[in-house]
Amino acid sequence: MNRPTRRLAVALFVAFGMLLGAVTWYQVLAVDRYRNDPRNTRTALSESGKERGVIVTRDGVVLARSDPNPQEPTSYDRKYPEGEVFAPVVGYTSLLAGSVGVERTFADELRSRRDFTISDLIAAALGGDLRPRSVQVSIDPTLQRKAYELLAGQRGAVVALDPSTGEILAYVSAPSYDPNRLTAAGAVEARQQLLDDPLTPLIDRAGNSLYAPGSTFKTIVAAAAIESGFASPETEFPDVSEFPLPGSTATISNFGDRLCLDGNSVTLQIAFVRSCNTVFADLAIQLGAQPVGATAGAFGFDRPFDLPWTTAESTFPEASLRNDDAALGQSGIGERDVRATPLQMAVVAAAIANQGEAMRPYVVRQIFNADGVTERVFDPVVEGRALSPAAAAVMTDLMERVVTNGTGGRASVPGVRVAGKTGTAQGTGGAPEAWFIGFAPVDNPSIAIAVLVEDGGGSGEDGTGGSVAAPIAGELIRLWLAR
Amino acid sequence: MTRNLEAALLAGAAALTAFGVALVEFARGGTADAQSGLTFLTFALAFGLVHIAIRRFAPQATSALLPPVALVAAFGFIEVYRLDQQKASLQRWWLVIGAVAAVIVLAWTGRKGVGVLRRYRNVLFLSGVLLLLMPLLPDLGVIRGKEVNGSRLWIEVQLGFTGLSFQPAELAKLAFVGFLAAYLADRQPALTGARRRIGFVSIPEPRQLLPLLLIWVGSLGVLVSQRDLGASLLLFSVFVGLIYSATGQSGYLSGGLGLMAAGGFVAWQLFDHVQRRVTAWLDPFSDFAGAGYQVGQGVFALGTGSLAGSGPGQGRPDLIPQAITDFIFAAVGEEFGFAGSVAVLCGYALIVAAGFGIALSSRDRYRKLLATGLTLTLGIQTFLIIGGVLRVVPLTGITLPFMSYGGSSLVGNFILIALLARISHEEAT
Repeated sequence: MNRPTRRLAVALFVAFGMLLGAVTWYQVLAVDRYRNDPRNTRTALSESGKERGVIVTRDGVVLARSDPNPQEPTSYDRKYPEGEVFAPVVGYTSLLAGSVGVERTFADELRSRRDFTISDLIAAALGGDLRPRSVQVSIDPTLQRKAYELLAGQRGAVVALDPSTGEILAYVSAPSYDPNRLTAAGAVEARQQLLDDPLTPLIDRAGNSLYAPGSTFKTIVAAAAIESGFASPETEFPDVSEFPLPGSTATISNFGDRLCLDGNSVTLQIAFVRSCNTVFADLAIQLGAQPVGATAGAFGFDRPFDLPWTTAESTFPEASLRNDDAALGQSGIGERDVRATPLQMAVVAAAIANQGEAMRPYVVRQIFNADGVTERVFDPVVEGRALSPAAAAVMTDLMERVVTNGTGGRASVPGVRVAGKTGTAQGTGGAPEAWFIGFAPVDNPSIAIAVLVEDGGGSGEDGTGGSVAAPIAGELIRLWLAR
Repeated sequence: MTRNLEAALLAGAAALTAFGVALVEFARGGTADAQSGLTFLTFALAFGLVHIAIRRFAPQATSALLPPVALVAAFGFIEVYRLDQQKASLQRWWLVIGAVAAVIVLAWTGRKGVGVLRRYRNVLFLSGVLLLLMPLLPDLGVIRGKEVNGSRLWIEVQLGFTGLSFQPAELAKLAFVGFLAAYLADRQPALTGARRRIGFVSIPEPRQLLPLLLIWVGSLGVLVSQRDLGASLLLFSVFVGLIYSATGQSGYLSGGLGLMAAGGFVAWQLFDHVQRRVTAWLDPFSDFAGAGYQVGQGVFALGTGSLAGSGPGQGRPDLIPQAITDFIFAAVGEEFGFAGSVAVLCGYALIVAAGFGIALSSRDRYRKLLATGLTLTLGIQTFLIIGGVLRVVPLTGITLPFMSYGGSSLVGNFILIALLARISHEEAT
């Protein structure tokens, strides 16, 4: 009677083997699937209450810090002293509301390693530093605060870059939210309230909202024409008040249905300075979708930026425009299906300012340890060459004229040569979206900027890029250069 | 010599437990304090007592049995301590009480031999039935049945100042194994003898099948009256395994499996708590907020634990409902990782291997069946509950021997190990 017993033993060991197989599946093979399931709150829970490193600006203003909880000695509370102004950059990390921004993308550096996992204990034994790292961002707090103030009561965004490095100097989205509300008690309700808010304060308008770039896109069309030698600023175009779109009954007209100049002909330069839609629709169709798309791509369209959080992808739908001249004409003035983020348009301005070389935008400059010793420096990265230096110089001249004699006059700053381009895009909700992109000073640019104000800045149909966005850009440029 | 090695391994397990408790304290921001010392002393005392009793009353017993028990108990206790310190101090008492129970069993059987149990066959059967029925008791003042989480499988004894909860099924299973081993040892010729043919199938005389059907009905009765899926499945499968072991006729095995399937199907049709279990088993994430929450949390715990685990006190096994009892394996998996899970599985495999080793080397028919039954009980119970956590089988709420929090489970399983040790000794002499 040992045989049946032996068989039972074998059966039981086979059953145990199944347990071993199952546990191997859960703990070795399918770890990521279960660990990263959104319903699994363990990772968020393990970070909550732990000490995290500080996030500071380039000049030492503290944007996020961990304060010891007075009730629980081992627990820390995350505080955001600058509140809503820096929320789109810093983000938040919260057990109940998730995490975004630098808080999310640098979570691994910011977290304390003093949690006695085996690998961390080994690292400590080998002389590793278990204390949390701190992160320095490139944001200039004065500029950031001022930009947020200038957007008060509006929906919009400001992105300012250092053209020669790609460092982000300001990254503002308005309205914003106070991240402290999302880490404290009542975070779930606070988050729901923010989600339900019709002004969508949780949306990152600077890098994760797509808008029709309107006439600011003419910089790309003009750059494509000049770079390819297809046109120069002196190239003449017919001056009409209405440009008929080929294969369509629709037409394109200028702002206020006016002629661009005198009804005869107009140079590219004047058309750019006065932002004449008729000429740019014409030019885009003559150029073709491919060169315009290639130039847009060279400036960073059609791929996301990594700030390090991922931003929305600005798009120029080149393929669908190849055989559709009517749509191409509308796209040439930044309407129809062209979409861009304020961040992307700031990169366009920065690349022109940087003699045609686009720098990759980034927000984190360095990581340092708890003793303040720098551990890692993020160096500027060349995103790519958008234009030849010569073409960039021509574009700079055109853009300077926009501010000196054109639609962008209100961005001018006394004693400073400012270059720029306005845009007034057909908003989705009736009133237009006001744009301004630009840089200064022209001879040695230290700031490139994109300003977007939704809904005409509240001025209805009169809210143009020149009247609403350009003054904000001018004020910020003045502030930056006076620092 | 190996007895000394056993002592060293037991001391090692006690030290491991104390170290684990210290790590839990450390993770809370405290320092290693009296709790670790107390834990070390409790483990040393409990397993020391059993060890000395084995030296005294079963000196020839295998020394491979107790060390893996101490190993799994160590992992279990660290997690119980991590999840609920108050229950952990109770668990420490239960460890000692369980060890004392093992000592008493060893001393008693040491004087009279394990065969003494064979004489009490019918007493065992009756006490098993009574134990199973006890939770159905109305409130009698001193003692009353109690329902916990929808299952009525507890009794509460009122001891003046405090109430003591007890799960009699944990002892009932031992009584039934004792009865079955004796019954089968006595009845073996009849069960293997006369057979009747129905078509192609040859079955034993229906009269001989009566106990099988009785136990089947009894198991279903437990399921219906107490909503205890685990105990009923365990009782029935141990019985089927034992009758197969006694007769060597695979007809009992297939018949038993058929009855189990039929019973399971009927239960699934009739009871929505069984249906919920099956849903949670097949796809816990289809109803994560509801029926699948516990199993889903268990799976998340295991996945998050990954290879090395979060470390004792560093994970969140407290998110799993019933982590301290049914899901203690997931708690170990989360905090000790794959390494800990495998260690625990190996521990049980070693206990079961030692148990089958004792059974296979037994010459006496009764002792062989008793050892087989005891080993099957522990092995199947372990498989059912770990398999439930790992979604190999539907979840049945039973304890994981030596690891789950709970006094009755510890006492019952200590007695089980004591009996195995004694059989091992008797067969070696």
